[in-house]
Amino acid sequence: MALLDKFETAAAIRDQLQLGGHDPTQVMMEQIISPTEGIVEGRHTILAGTNNYLGLTFDPACIEAGRQAIETQGTGTTGSRMANGSFAQHAALERELADFFDVDYGMVFSTGYGANLGILTALLKPGDAVLLDADAHASLYDGCQMSGADIFRFRHNDVDALGKRLQRLGERAGDCLIVTEGLYSVMGDCAPLQEIVALKKEFGALLLVDEAHSLGVYGDQGRGVAEAQGVLHEVDFFVGTFSKSLGAMGGFCASRHRQLELVRYVSRPFIFTASSSPSIIASTREALRQIRTRPELRETLWRNARRLYAGFKSEGFEVGPEISPVVAVRLGAKEVALPFWNRLLEKGIYTNLMVPPASPDQHSYIRCSVSAAHSEQQVEAIIEAFSSLRELL
Amino acid sequence: MNTRHDELETKIGKLLASYLESSNHPELERHGEINGATNLVSDFTLDSFQVMEFMMELEESFDIMIDMNSLSNTHTVADLARFVQQELAGPAE
Repeated sequence: MALLDKFETAAAIRDQLQLGGHDPTQVMMEQIISPTEGIVEGRHTILAGTNNYLGLTFDPACIEAGRQAIETQGTGTTGSRMANGSFAQHAALERELADFFDVDYGMVFSTGYGANLGILTALLKPGDAVLLDADAHASLYDGCQMSGADIFRFRHNDVDALGKRLQRLGERAGDCLIVTEGLYSVMGDCAPLQEIVALKKEFGALLLVDEAHSLGVYGDQGRGVAEAQGVLHEVDFFVGTFSKSLGAMGGFCASRHRQLELVRYVSRPFIFTASSSPSIIASTREALRQIRTRPELRETLWRNARRLYAGFKSEGFEVGPEISPVVAVRLGAKEVALPFWNRLLEKGIYTNLMVPPASPDQHSYIRCSVSAAHSEQQVEAIIEAFSSLRELL
Repeated sequence: MNTRHDELETKIGKLLASYLESSNHPELERHGEINGATNLVSDFTLDSFQVMEFMMELEESFDIMIDMNSLSNTHTVADLARFVQQELAGPAE
């Protein structure tokens, strides 16, 4: 019995989450109507928490690309690339991703989580040092931990703290990996990549940037925060996902280092995972093409983001430090945030609830992700719903 | 138990009390009970985020770096004092 007793803790967490009526981790989308609308408990619901930044999940060209791939290549690859071989499309997407980031090498993984595990466990080994932003995504933590390297965290976006740690590493600094994200997914703030790059160069370290939430969103060509901050060519490894702006599922790494090609031989998460199905690769390729050719998607996304951020602010809500397509509203205690999130859902607004220890500090947040596919009316409806619940604060 | 270790325990205890205060921890009023045997998780119900936050406080205070993987057997204030003492002494030759 002892082996299973540990689930009592999970049961207690679940019971607490269900106190407000609905479990925020188990919302059922009975029907998906569009990138921004679904049916939840029979109710028409605006989706304001699905990271569908460019709204490409229902894009006709992406759907058609996926449909054609299923018809011509089948529903799946039935195994890993090492065992079953690669489909030509996998390699084509890798070339396109490398070209997109203006580097020579690209590698595709079956999930974003797998990409971070796969790259970090290949790049790092016991005895190596990695400097990790404290607010980094769980996949980055897990990848670092699985590698067995020495993990030193630095306070979120604190360049001085990073510099101090590089200094303390002494000779090891020239051989360490700095790991950050582009856009941080809870608070919607960006890494100060220019300053981080300056430190990386000063100490001779390598830099990995996870652009999962910033791909397609930041930069003139949608290449992410590194592009937006003018340091695209200084990043050693870009990682990211196909499950947000690209509207599908999967992950990638792109790099100017030729050793990325050798990661295929040593990365267990890559070697032992079935490769992405043809429809996923095909729709991702089309979505990547759209990021490159339809800058108007980003313009609409940012217009919606600015309106939501300003709307919350003018209603007196405490929002994140900068305008971005991730807008987090600070609600303080969990006891306030949980009913607030529940009432929002009952009003037909789906958002994300973040409570400690999953939030980046001791406060609870309701997080919205904006989409280019949100209409002006939907953005206003989200603001209105929040505003109508102010008495719960 | 040497003097240096006792001093470190006391200092870490004070830092823990100060962390509980700054984070408005619900068990703040029990800070007087902190001693070497105090377990951060079971006595003061620090969650994983708070433990990591507190580790960063220790890094700043003692000007050391704490490898996340090195803390798996570190549970009490006395364990932390031993760890800090080793770090301050530098790597074994």
